[in-house]
Amino acid sequence: MIDCDVHQNFNSLRDLEPWLDPAFRDYIEVGGYGGFTLPNYPWVHPSGFMMGDAVPEDGGVPGSDYDTMRAQLLDRFDVEYAILTGEDILNISCMAHPQFASALATAYNRWLIEDWLPRDDRLKGSIVVATQDAEQAAREIGERAAHPDVVQVLLPCGARTGYGDPHYLPIFEAAVEMGLPVAMHVGAEGLATNPPPTATGYPAYYLEWHTLLPSSAMSHLVSVVCHGVFERLPELRLVIIEAGVVWLPGVLWRLDANWKALRSETPWVKRLPSEQVREHVRFTTQPLEQPARKSQLQAVLESVDGMGEMLLFATDYPHWDFDTPKIVEGRLPEAWREGVMRGNARELYRLPDREPARARV
Amino acid sequence: MSERAVAMEASLLPPGGRAKVEAFGTEVAIFNLDGELFALANACPHHGGPLCHGRISGARLPSDPYEHRWGRENRVLTCPWHGWEFDLETGRALFDERVRVRTFEARIEGDQVVLYRKTVNLAIVSEPDVCVHDSAAVRTE
Repeated sequence: MIDCDVHQNFNSLRDLEPWLDPAFRDYIEVGGYGGFTLPNYPWVHPSGFMMGDAVPEDGGVPGSDYDTMRAQLLDRFDVEYAILTGEDILNISCMAHPQFASALATAYNRWLIEDWLPRDDRLKGSIVVATQDAEQAAREIGERAAHPDVVQVLLPCGARTGYGDPHYLPIFEAAVEMGLPVAMHVGAEGLATNPPPTATGYPAYYLEWHTLLPSSAMSHLVSVVCHGVFERLPELRLVIIEAGVVWLPGVLWRLDANWKALRSETPWVKRLPSEQVREHVRFTTQPLEQPARKSQLQAVLESVDGMGEMLLFATDYPHWDFDTPKIVEGRLPEAWREGVMRGNARELYRLPDREPARARV
Repeated sequence: MSERAVAMEASLLPPGGRAKVEAFGTEVAIFNLDGELFALANACPHHGGPLCHGRISGARLPSDPYEHRWGRENRVLTCPWHGWEFDLETGRALFDERVRVRTFEARIEGDQVVLYRKTVNLAIVSEPDVCVHDSAAVRTE
């Protein structure tokens, strides 16, 4: 199994200090109220955002300890590769201070490459960028992307506009130049400088916010298609992480139908949107929706041509809503299982087929 | 009729203690709450989460809108994975009492913790088309 959404983390931003530009270290140490912390959510999960058994023995943050991750995820589920996606570092893109945000991106990426990726052959990394300054983000991609264990560029779904906006184009161009997919992971919606997380503002409860998470991914998907990003960059691959999947047929049916009538508004969109999405976009499965019957889920998934090649399995370890591989595999149409559980990710990230991998140390 | 299994030494399960043991061919989570023992299958019916790591507390009981009514103190076990809440005494989920975890009777006999399993207890009717072991999909008798 290849796990396309694994959240490793630092215990605090201070862990990144050795890799942080000295010009910004005081922000971490004494800035704000005794040290800057990343923007965080106004919604509270009453029993916590993390799996209750994922706290490492040292009492650190879930995801901060490699040995715990190895025991609970990598070895336990015989993971072939784990794509690391970080944690609230994604929230740098909603900070007000663009240069500080970019410095944190660099520090995080260096920490990821030097401290995490060398620990285990199974670990592959996602580099982050601060989207406030897209030209700087492109330079960061150029600096880091050549590392053999870096497999994608990661953006948050919470953003000031849809990712089709020309502001973001340098990021996509740099990723294509370096041969990496760009992933967007739900999160940061409604935080700090970001707009409210829904078209009706801020929901009151975490239950509402979490249920509506796919809405930000829908907005980006439609935005990227309508701005012609795939027409500009035929080699671009996008990965949408943790946004669920059953909304896709509805959005694509609407987009295709509307495009047929409104094509002249965006004449650069020359191919049926659903065909572009099928070719360019992949979706991670977690949290795979849970209707009462498998047949209901499969009917929805099979209503999109090529869906079996578009899905990538993910656990979301160590988050509270993570998916276990056997249960998800059992819900998929049989003919898709090999591809969704490993083949599609292996192809997208160009991962060599391998014997079950082991730790380097 | 019930089957009996010796689970562990009682000294290893003091008040406030919890343990995971093998009994009746399955994993069982045992909790000692101030001398009262509770035992349940150590697998949540949702994704198989290890209930032995669950938090034990009360819960906000079903209430009227905007009312937060705390109750069942120390009788609610929350699965560490996805937060499904179960009543420790009945094993029934708070969101739907048709969903339940198998419970066992646990007693201290001498210096041993002993489990009892009723032989006619729970029949889970699991159909091949079940997506999640949830409300309408699983019937318990």
